[in-house]
Amino acid sequence: MSVAPIGEQAVAPPARTRGITRRQALAAAVATGVGVGVVRLIGGSMQQIATPRRATTTDWISPLKSESARITQLLRRTSFGYTAAHLEAAMSEGFSKTVDRMIETAPAEPPALAAANTPGGRFPIVQLQQWWIDHMLTTPTPFAERMTLFWHGHFTSDYRKAADDTFMYWQNLTWRRMATTDLRSMLMQVTTDPAMLRYLDLATSTGQNPNENYSRELMELFTMGAGNYTEDDVREGAKALAGWQLPQPDSIATVMVDKNNNLTRRLPVFSSQKTGVFNPRRSYRGSITYLGKAGQLDTQGVIDRILAQPATAPFIANKVAQHFVTARPSASYVKSLGDTFRRSKYDIKTLMRAVFTSPEFAADQSYRSLVKTPTEFMVHGARALGLASLSKLIANAGSGMGQSLFDPPDVNGWPNNESWISSNTVVERVNFVTAALAQVKGALPSPADAIHRHLDGVLSPQTAGFLNQAADDRARWFITLASPEFQLK
Amino acid sequence: MKGEVGINQLKRRDFLKAGLVFGAGASGLAAGYAAVPDAFARAVYAAKKEGMTNDNILVMIQLAGGNDGLRTVVPLADPALHDLRPKLAGPMVSQALPLNSQYGLNHNLGGIKGLWDKGKVAIVQGVGYPNPTFSHFESIRIWETGDPSRRQVDGWLGRTLATSYDSNGHPLTGCACGATDAPGALRDLQATLTVIQDQKKFGFTGGGEVEAAVGALYKGTPGIYGALFDTAIATATETMATLRTSASNYQPMADYTDKVKLVYSSKNQLAAALQLAAELIVTGTGVKLLHVTLGGFDTHYTELNRHDDLMGYLDAAVSSFYQDLSAHNMADKVLIATWSEFGRRPKENASGGTDHGAAAPLLLIGDPVYGGLYGEEPSLTSLDNTGNLKYAVDFRSVYQEILSGHLGADAAKILGSSFDRVSFLKAPVTV
Repeated sequence: MSVAPIGEQAVAPPARTRGITRRQALAAAVATGVGVGVVRLIGGSMQQIATPRRATTTDWISPLKSESARITQLLRRTSFGYTAAHLEAAMSEGFSKTVDRMIETAPAEPPALAAANTPGGRFPIVQLQQWWIDHMLTTPTPFAERMTLFWHGHFTSDYRKAADDTFMYWQNLTWRRMATTDLRSMLMQVTTDPAMLRYLDLATSTGQNPNENYSRELMELFTMGAGNYTEDDVREGAKALAGWQLPQPDSIATVMVDKNNNLTRRLPVFSSQKTGVFNPRRSYRGSITYLGKAGQLDTQGVIDRILAQPATAPFIANKVAQHFVTARPSASYVKSLGDTFRRSKYDIKTLMRAVFTSPEFAADQSYRSLVKTPTEFMVHGARALGLASLSKLIANAGSGMGQSLFDPPDVNGWPNNESWISSNTVVERVNFVTAALAQVKGALPSPADAIHRHLDGVLSPQTAGFLNQAADDRARWFITLASPEFQLK
Repeated sequence: MKGEVGINQLKRRDFLKAGLVFGAGASGLAAGYAAVPDAFARAVYAAKKEGMTNDNILVMIQLAGGNDGLRTVVPLADPALHDLRPKLAGPMVSQALPLNSQYGLNHNLGGIKGLWDKGKVAIVQGVGYPNPTFSHFESIRIWETGDPSRRQVDGWLGRTLATSYDSNGHPLTGCACGATDAPGALRDLQATLTVIQDQKKFGFTGGGEVEAAVGALYKGTPGIYGALFDTAIATATETMATLRTSASNYQPMADYTDKVKLVYSSKNQLAAALQLAAELIVTGTGVKLLHVTLGGFDTHYTELNRHDDLMGYLDAAVSSFYQDLSAHNMADKVLIATWSEFGRRPKENASGGTDHGAAAPLLLIGDPVYGGLYGEEPSLTSLDNTGNLKYAVDFRSVYQEILSGHLGADAAKILGSSFDRVSFLKAPVTV
């Protein structure tokens, strides 16, 4: 099928012809399906439409010469997949207008989470996970959710140490509202975010005896990268940042935490979302030397000094490129994105527009060069199947694939691309497809359309072969969603 | 056909080597040093020299986040400790389990203390490397690759797999238990290994036919990730077959529980991971190099209780593991070793915790060790210019002894150099 024989790899035939060929091929593929079910995928006769020479291919044929393929790639990478309606809307707008709309549309707020009013934020984390996934599945502005997930992995916090799921809820609302603002505003918000104040210990640091945790990760992981600052900068920065504390609660509730032992605890209650408060008595008043300059410095001063460093813009640009364009962006690409980002005063919309409209984004080498995160894979699967109520399964299935929301493996957030592929995770991905399909009660959407919509009709000989011999729509959907093609974006 | 696949995968491997996996330059870390595929181009790895005949096994336990060495092996008689840690020092000294007049184990390491009393625990003090980095991720990389110069990209255990064992078709030779992705220490483009998070759930819910179908579906997948997908699925299905046999032949002879007081972010189920390790060991699956992780050691705040809890958790899991191996008459084959990216700052901070440090002790546990204290405890009054403990033993000296003395591997080849010996093994394979 659409797999290049040797020597043809880089040469894409004219899009129109190919599209028709694929469509015809696919129709034929579905028509020739023979009587075997999902559990009997092997066996039966191979009736391939075209016989690819085996083991002669090393890469997918990129269809990115065609605008429609560029649009599906854009949506796969920016919006957790898509429903048929989303795709149609984007197709009629075209690529650039879709980029504009995505970037310029204000994020739709998710409905308020009632559990967030629980004193001390002591409610099961799965409620928060499901709440977010529900919004991913139904939001009219999926790009905002994709960016929120990006920032959740970048300015990361985990619910275990934050020890207050309401703080985690607030952090999620904050990243969404700020998802496409600017880095300077975000960094101030990150520094004073209650979950972050707990997660990286700034809330308990003092100028006299500073805790270095936040100061270090602010530079190493959030802005500049290792090697661009000294240990003295970490220490001096910790002094300058000290003084922030958790917000005062509006009231205190006495809650029974252990009925058997009649044990109660007094837990904070907040009537609205808050940020940290600065306590000058805990701050450092002396002069410090930070990133090469001496003087008194407050938190905004620290952030501005970081933004003045040449390492900051390319560091962020590199990470964005790895999540949205290619696992291994070239130095010149990163520099160009970084320059644009810095010139725009760290405007995130400008950066994202530069990313999506760059030639690198549409380059043939970019095709299927990223691995969907577990959350993207599952949400895309659910939306492709038209299942809007799959959040419980998705929330629980993530950990075996390496991604449990609000619970990153460490302060570096989630690793990406190839690290999502292991013996454990691939099995879990396949098992998710089995479980998701079991929840489809009625008729399935057309798998023939799905192969075009979600896989661009670019299939490996194995995937094509299995589709050719699949017994029914359920089997075809299983193959489509469990295929290596669907794990990529 | 096999040959063609080989060529195919070799190309991909070259691509990976060119930097996809490990990133490049300043962006290396973010580019995914931490990103670790678990299975690499198996097909290019058919020709392998004779495997080693030695049947010893290594289990590495990573204490992720930076374990506080001073709270693990406590200096009992150094007044400087109380000056540096006014809040933390008192209870940790008074409760410690004395090893001699100078040092004691954390009071929650009672099981390990019992093994110490039987001569089965070697403690190497003051382990570190020159010009330490205080970044978790940089230092983890250094320990994982065994290369403080940060040029090496393969893990030291991965290189051991690649140079000394035939993991082709034997993906359990190297296994990460209790994880979803492979630890960097086990990674090597020429080695195959398995990752199993939870043995009970490790299988296709769709049954054997889905297993076979998915294996075929992923075979020869095109693209830069093709080899990874292909080998991940192949490895998984081979491992499932092995586990079906081993699970029915294994009866745990110790009580493993992960219900010991859990510390936030010690999300790994260490006891369950070690029980899986025990099963793989006692049922003769051919495992050689096992890796498990316990997280939560980044104790920047309220360290007092949290570190004690972690010690208790570690102690319970390791004690059960040793007991189980011993009851199955396998304890003489298995060396258990802890590692952590760094120790912690001797001086405590305002949060009742400690910041990132440098040198720290390593624990080596099992019948193969000759119990006792090795190395040299760094001075609390002669700290380096960052206020941290100076190292006395290069961590690669410990690796070297493990590799040559326990596994019988060519340590100089794997580590790229020779280091001073630390003779903590009872009967080193090669002297």
